[in-house]
Amino acid sequence: MVEDSQEIIGDYQYGFHDPENSTIRFDKGLTEQVVRDISELKNEPEWMTDIRVKAYRHFVERVMPDWGNCSLLNMIDFENVTYFLRSSDKTEKSWDDVPDDIKNTFDRLGIPEAEQKWLGGVTAQYESEAVYHSIREDLEEQGVIFLDMDSGLKQYPEIVKKYFGTVVPHSDNKFSALNTAVWSGGSFLYIPKGVSVEMPVQAYFRINAKNMGQFERTLIIADEGSTVHYVEGCTAPNYSTDSLHSAVVELIAMKGAKIRYSTVQNWSSNVYNLVTKRAVAYQDAVVEWVDGNIGSKLTMKYPSVLLKGEGAHAEVISVAYAGEGQHQDTGAKVHHLASNTTSNILSKSISKGGGRSSYRGLLQVTPKSSGCRSKVVCDALILDEDSRSDTYPTMEIGNSSSDLEHEASVSKVSSDQLFYLMTRGFSEEEAMGLIVNGFFEPFTRELPMEYAVELNKLLELEMEGSIG
Amino acid sequence: MMYHQMPIPPRSEHLWRYTPWHRIHPSKPDVIPSADGIVFKTQDNVSLIETSSTQPTSSEIARTFLHECKGSSYNLSLDNIAEPIHINARCSGHVSVGTLNVEVKGSAVLFIHLTGEPEWAGIRITGTVHPNSQLFYGFINELDSNAKFLRCEDWNLQRDASMENATLSLGGFRCKTDIRSSLNGTGASLRQAITVNADGAQHDDEHVEIHHHHGHTYSDLVMNSACGGSSHFIGTGLLTIAEGANKTDASQVFRNLLLSEKARAEAIPELEVLADDVSAAHGAASAPVDSEQMHYLMSRGLNPVDAQNMIVSGFLNDAFSNLTNAALIKEMRTRLTVHLECELKR
Repeated sequence: MVEDSQEIIGDYQYGFHDPENSTIRFDKGLTEQVVRDISELKNEPEWMTDIRVKAYRHFVERVMPDWGNCSLLNMIDFENVTYFLRSSDKTEKSWDDVPDDIKNTFDRLGIPEAEQKWLGGVTAQYESEAVYHSIREDLEEQGVIFLDMDSGLKQYPEIVKKYFGTVVPHSDNKFSALNTAVWSGGSFLYIPKGVSVEMPVQAYFRINAKNMGQFERTLIIADEGSTVHYVEGCTAPNYSTDSLHSAVVELIAMKGAKIRYSTVQNWSSNVYNLVTKRAVAYQDAVVEWVDGNIGSKLTMKYPSVLLKGEGAHAEVISVAYAGEGQHQDTGAKVHHLASNTTSNILSKSISKGGGRSSYRGLLQVTPKSSGCRSKVVCDALILDEDSRSDTYPTMEIGNSSSDLEHEASVSKVSSDQLFYLMTRGFSEEEAMGLIVNGFFEPFTRELPMEYAVELNKLLELEMEGSIG
Repeated sequence: MMYHQMPIPPRSEHLWRYTPWHRIHPSKPDVIPSADGIVFKTQDNVSLIETSSTQPTSSEIARTFLHECKGSSYNLSLDNIAEPIHINARCSGHVSVGTLNVEVKGSAVLFIHLTGEPEWAGIRITGTVHPNSQLFYGFINELDSNAKFLRCEDWNLQRDASMENATLSLGGFRCKTDIRSSLNGTGASLRQAITVNADGAQHDDEHVEIHHHHGHTYSDLVMNSACGGSSHFIGTGLLTIAEGANKTDASQVFRNLLLSEKARAEAIPELEVLADDVSAAHGAASAPVDSEQMHYLMSRGLNPVDAQNMIVSGFLNDAFSNLTNAALIKEMRTRLTVHLECELKR
């Protein structure tokens, strides 16, 4: 506890932590045996163990990316990470059955309250596995499957086997290989044909332990003509040592389906957030990534959409806030692999207190995909002279019938806008807060109301003291 | 570092992503071929001096390679010359290499016309525009359509210097251009325009870096390409604004007009901004010929081919509209018009 009390909490309101009461905790470090042990502990089918081992070998062989913030990436000590930690022996369906200390954490994060008010289902993951899971009965009756990924594999192995790793193969990158090797928890969501899930379903990911690695795996399949909105939130305590979050998210939107995936990532500033998120959209399907990045030390996340069917549409709205010591390396990738597909990307970032935000994007139109349209807009605000903003867009256009646009701007907060608000009685700090909230408004209006309010509050907290 | 000690750059570097070094090298990457010198000729009253000393080496592989090829080497001093200077750079033989160092004091208008039928040509140009000086510079590539071409330029713009740098890329089968400009003094200003007309199986890769090291500097880049046949155009840009370079105003626009189903274009305009009180923007767009513009022209009696040619001509000429020097604009537009008319007659 003495050591705990010495940890830094600072202004980060979710930086509190509970004592660790793990039922199983693996030693730090990664070996093939650790991978096999995780699989055995979860009593997985042999094919999954084989995939894990194959992925582990690829992870070992694969070199670290030689692009992006290499100096921060190379500081990751894979041998100083705990790859599996079980806090509760089973996933409960009632909050009353969740161990008290864990329940208290989620109470403080407001999850049970939100569930009662506006959610169709909730998965709460604490360390490596889900501790709570529920779904509204009416959705269950319509055939919606919403489980944590471990239960999904146990109960629906044939669906998982069919789709697992088809959108993000383990060989995609070093961190997808790592995730495939040691994945644990995450969500498994299947929406049957024609079913529309009106209320969002939510997953909440919490890291509590020090030097913890969280490697959840999410698989969402929206069958023909169905719709779903999935919301994801993430927090962790502030420690002086680093944690690693490396998730893989795979979305499959069948013909005419619509998936919206909203994330507000608010990891503490000691978390490496290296995530691979990718979706496949078939004919006339729509995939929307609404992606907010507020926390973490280094985030590298580029939600992608493969538009594989004619008439498919991708929408990516992302915001990033890079404060002191943070690098938000985010962006979006859209691959137009079929004709008459469309996409919109809107990226907004703010850098403050020496923070660095980077937009890294790819827009690809293959030679045979005619009549595609896409628009990319990146806006960046730099709030002080120590901060930095980068834009690295790539456009690859393979035919003459497609229409693509990209525009980006970097500027500081307009003194005219500040002056206007201050003449109407706002202090400089309030005026700055209003302008920043307005800057992020295209993002917040796409979030469920409760999240939008929460995000605005978070930004206000982050912006405190930003004047003078 | 010598060329042989340098690692071959990986394709993860966007500079080498679409035209890797082995594709632009004249033979095999581990070979430094014996080169013929490019012959530079100009008017009698201009101080263009052939020299035995080649330009200093660089940590960049293409520049080091050109340095070690030991082609011809020239120095050019421009000191307030009113008349435009035309330099004919003639390439020939298997491998043709030349380097040119330009020093500008006062005001000058300079054109370099690159011609010839070499199998491979490489040119390296370095230059300094001294304080309060102005250079209006046009580079016209009219190499034979079977030539491979590598061009590296490095410009140093000092306090209150201004430069207009226009490129017309018409020739060559596979071209790789890397132009880097550093704005090294307060008040420095750069306007850059690149026009590419690619056809057949041409591959043209244009990389432009603009580095704002001081505040109160200005840069403006326009890159327009029209790609027909199965040609492939790549435009990559890196705009950096250093810490403390406040009141910098920088913009980049990349536009690609795709004229055939098989034509391809890539645009990567990158920005790295480390100062807060700046205005930096970039835009990129790729599209086919606008059907409404075609309809408008055809409704006035033009056939589809003439209508498209008129649109292409207007589009490519538009790249030079950010320039201010009348002689530079006129020469670049004339060369472009002549080229497009010759294309039509073929």
